[in-house]
Amino acid sequence: MKPITILVGALGGDGGGVLCDWIVAAAHSQGLDVQATQIPGVAQRTGATTYYLEVVPSRGSHGTVLALNPAIGEVDVALATELLEAGRMIFNGFVTPDRTTLIASTHRVLAISERSAMGDGSFDVGRLLRAVKERSQAQILFDMDQAAEESGGVINAVLLGALAGSGRLPIPDAAFETAIREGGKAVDTNLAAFAFGRGHARGELEQAVREHRKRQTAAQGVEDLIARARRSFPAASLDVVEEGIRRLAAYQDRRYAALFLDRLAGIDAAIVREVARHLAVRMSYEDVIRVAQAKTSRERLERVRAEVRAKPHEPVGITEHFKPGNEEIAAMLPPKLARWLLAQPKFHFPMHLRSTTIWGFARLRLLAGLRWWRPYTWRYVEEQAQIEAWLGQIAAAQALSLDLAREIAEAARLIKGYGDTHKRGLGNYRRITDEIIAPALAGRMPARQAADAVANARVAALADPEGDALGRTLTAVAAAAGITTMRHAAE
Amino acid sequence: MLYSPVMLDQPQVPVTQRTNPERSFKEEVRALRLGNGEMFRGEGILAVTKAILQSGVAYVGGYQGAPVSHLVDVLVESQDLLDELGVHLETCTNEASAAAMLGASINYPMRGCVTWKSIVGTNVAADALSNLASPGVIGGALIVVGEDYGEGASVIQERTQAYALKSSVWLMDPRPSLPTIVQCTEKAFELSEATNTPVMMELRIRACHVTGEFVAKDNKAPAVSRNRRLANPAVHDYGRISHPPSTYAHEKLKVEVRQPAAERFIVANGLNEFFPGERSDLGIIVQGGITNVLVRGLDRLEVGGKVPMLVLNVTHPLVPGQIADFCKGKRAVLVVEEGAPDYIEQSIHACLRKRDIDTRIYGKDVLPMAGEYTAEVLTEGLLEFFARAANDIDLSGPRERFEAAKAGRAEAHRILGGPLPLRPPGFCVGCPERPVFSAIKLLEREVGKVHISSDIGCHSFATLAPFNLGNSILGFGMSLAAAGAVAPVMEKRTISVMGDGGFWHNGLLSGVASSMFNRGDRVLVIMQNGYTSATGAQFIPNTAGNRRDGQTTSDIAATLKAMGVSWLRTIRTYNVGTMLKTLREAMSTDEKGLKVIVADGECQLARQRRVRPQIAADLRAGKRVVRTRFGVDDEVCTGDHSCIRLSGCPSLVVKPSPDPLRTDPVAHVNNGCVGCGLCGEVADAAVLCPSFYKADIVQNATWWDRLVWKLRSKVIGALAC
Repeated sequence: MKPITILVGALGGDGGGVLCDWIVAAAHSQGLDVQATQIPGVAQRTGATTYYLEVVPSRGSHGTVLALNPAIGEVDVALATELLEAGRMIFNGFVTPDRTTLIASTHRVLAISERSAMGDGSFDVGRLLRAVKERSQAQILFDMDQAAEESGGVINAVLLGALAGSGRLPIPDAAFETAIREGGKAVDTNLAAFAFGRGHARGELEQAVREHRKRQTAAQGVEDLIARARRSFPAASLDVVEEGIRRLAAYQDRRYAALFLDRLAGIDAAIVREVARHLAVRMSYEDVIRVAQAKTSRERLERVRAEVRAKPHEPVGITEHFKPGNEEIAAMLPPKLARWLLAQPKFHFPMHLRSTTIWGFARLRLLAGLRWWRPYTWRYVEEQAQIEAWLGQIAAAQALSLDLAREIAEAARLIKGYGDTHKRGLGNYRRITDEIIAPALAGRMPARQAADAVANARVAALADPEGDALGRTLTAVAAAAGITTMRHAAE
Repeated sequence: MLYSPVMLDQPQVPVTQRTNPERSFKEEVRALRLGNGEMFRGEGILAVTKAILQSGVAYVGGYQGAPVSHLVDVLVESQDLLDELGVHLETCTNEASAAAMLGASINYPMRGCVTWKSIVGTNVAADALSNLASPGVIGGALIVVGEDYGEGASVIQERTQAYALKSSVWLMDPRPSLPTIVQCTEKAFELSEATNTPVMMELRIRACHVTGEFVAKDNKAPAVSRNRRLANPAVHDYGRISHPPSTYAHEKLKVEVRQPAAERFIVANGLNEFFPGERSDLGIIVQGGITNVLVRGLDRLEVGGKVPMLVLNVTHPLVPGQIADFCKGKRAVLVVEEGAPDYIEQSIHACLRKRDIDTRIYGKDVLPMAGEYTAEVLTEGLLEFFARAANDIDLSGPRERFEAAKAGRAEAHRILGGPLPLRPPGFCVGCPERPVFSAIKLLEREVGKVHISSDIGCHSFATLAPFNLGNSILGFGMSLAAAGAVAPVMEKRTISVMGDGGFWHNGLLSGVASSMFNRGDRVLVIMQNGYTSATGAQFIPNTAGNRRDGQTTSDIAATLKAMGVSWLRTIRTYNVGTMLKTLREAMSTDEKGLKVIVADGECQLARQRRVRPQIAADLRAGKRVVRTRFGVDDEVCTGDHSCIRLSGCPSLVVKPSPDPLRTDPVAHVNNGCVGCGLCGEVADAAVLCPSFYKADIVQNATWWDRLVWKLRSKVIGALAC
């Protein structure tokens, strides 16, 4: 009698071992021969873990030699608590379209390399889903993390429910439920999670897609600016342009939002969306006032309460972690004074501000109220000059190549963050400007080549914080440009 | 408004979705009490534990390490049972001390069992092992080694077989089925006594964790034990001392008496198994431990039951007569032996050659010399074997299916477009060791790269992303010694990192004493988390409470002072700023000699296991509990992820930016957060950004809490933007 083979891919802490215990207990209760084993990893709570089980589907067939290792092309049921782990089982050849039922959660828990990337480093979910669809015989896919949350249980019980619901094992639901009961741990929530998983597997439950809502800025009194934008810009760019208007009105004032529209006036319709997006972000640069605005907004406290899962009657105290230094203070001073302060030795002092006390909140509110002063600060003057220079480059590039103009706009993505992060991003951006954009605009590099070079340099700048990759890319660009120039000269 | 951000002093209730409730050994302890005829169900390593009690062991010892930690861990929780039987249990401080325990069986008719992870543990035990094997034993001595080989292994890939061969210790490698494992365990004691030789039994990772069942027997109380003490020590017998000239006699005894006796025992008791097959001209000799993979491989090729098999549940000594009988009259025999060198295959070659048996032996020529024999590897090897030795068997069907599966995998690779992101192990949420590496990262920003000598333990995860810190690992507790010849040639001082587990295991003598003695000018960071955490939080001498009387045995700082270490700082790890300052000082002080930083912070896994039930009880009792956790303001975060690169905390994740104008995902603290405060500390120490906040959620708030909160909320609501 051929055993039914089950491979489980999980993350440390997902409860894969307990899941196996449940399956083993349930199979035993039916008099079925079953064997489980695992590569559990170390005691720590990260890392991928795998479990392998074999269940002989008929009673009394004891004596079948059961394997301890999965074999490629010989897995009947593959269970994964996370989408990348499903992908890993597919990648390793264990999931095959001729026999494997893949039961997997669609949520992603990013691996460390994906999380620590300086931009968006996550693996292409489209590829994972395509592999899931094409490389398995049948699929039961839903967000089990969300189902676990909704049911108040743990993901392994949801997965067990999905396995029961798949009908791939000759084990009745009641046997699985008994196994959970006899396990004796968090029985009620695990049973609820089991029921959720089974319901989803049988199509009895519909899952609301977890939204990642984008939050629009609230701003009043900008209706005329929005009307003006609607007259001036293509429809496809309006969501961004309108958000820019609202953002900047809230960030500074109506006049500042109008300046945003003025600045966009000369931009080619084909790239206005990208330019508007970056322009709005650049114009709403991060300074102490903006941080204070964000931290004293009416919705923020509710957001924090929801995020930390405070119940309605539970008081929540919030402590902000600030560490202002000369740069942050200089950003608030008039240019002359700021330059003097910046010339002084660098200093920082940690400030742990309790923003849920009246005095703490009031201080933040006071800072937020300083936005009228912003246009008189050194930082404002600096930022506007940089923005104008950047817009100038875009305008100049438009005449040569829209691709180059678009890439120059996109390069602004590098300028983000605070303190050293901001300085590093700005430094990278300046290197790209000096070594690619400026030569290109001066006609020393073909525009098409420059567009590619700027794009490559942007990706390289986000590859490592030390700037090694960017250095290599810029050297390569210079070399390539040199060759081109020589070739031109030869012609 | 400045205050000290010591987060962990507050009780917290982590509300984590992704947590596997810690295993309690209650079920396992019950299984150990099963009596005659009752059905045992459980994992392989627990079956071994039950089998040693059924065999009447008088003492058990060991040093933790996957995959055999469970043996001692379960016994630690079975003190009642051990007391009833009179079994003495030692949780040894290293494998050498465990191996030396077996010395009891040299002079006394007591059965003993010790356990550790191999190959590394056997290396540490080697001295005692040699000195044990030489005089030999009169009480059965069993060493259960976790053969940490292949997928999931965490140590150097070497074979325990080498030790068995060189020390003349017998080695069992049982077929991974519980009845066989149990039978081998019981027979191991008999074999040991019949041959006056210690016996090792190796269990691979999957075999330790394999589930199964067997019919239990009653536990046996040993004849000599803590409960039945001896009035007098053994009569002095110089022949039992591993000193010359006894050692010359021992060497002869090993080969002339003990090995032949072992060979006779193996045959008489049928320890190796013979499985018949139709094709008498072919045969396969296989290590017991990988029989299942082989059998399934043969089934895959539809030749299951066709080829006779000799299963070696004992891989040393081999029984030449048995091998010769099996091979005689066969055209070809395949030896399936995992790992290098191919000791068994070489012995079989020699055995047949000496007897002029001309059976062609296949082995490492059709199977790879190195690496785990997985289902796929073995299938490839079997196909090759049959192609070369028996091409009259038509394997075209199975071969096609196998090739199709491989082609399918290639297609999967194409769709996925390249390797998937790896998921290496890393520090747990709230781990007290992570801040030390955050501080070292920050130190390197100031002084440049530093030579870092790493060690075995959780802290070795710092060699992986996102820290990527560490230049070498030389073994458990060896990091300080490993910097011995590096430090003198470096302009900057070297930093050795060692856990408290490693310190007591070996680092104290091999590292600290040697460095002091040689006036080494180095920096040592000792991670004092209170347990050997990587192996499941076993107790060590500086653990807050000993398992016997609740008293701490030895204090690391006091020990170092006694040894003459003058530059010694004990720093709470979570305080990254202080840690950075202390590291800076250690690296730059004019004081020569060893500089030790004891980085103190309890293992968060162990801590959570302790405080979680306490907090739950407090909450139920209606007591005021403050739960602390951290968060990121998604509006303030700009998505650079510096914080993640400096921390790597599993609860510090990314999520899509809520900002319609930004595309880079922003940092996010998920509900796994235990409120250790590192992210805030790092944001401070590295001057990252003002996104982090700490939230204190007051559960079962008092009327005063609520009053203050209501008042504040009113005013804040009126002031808000």
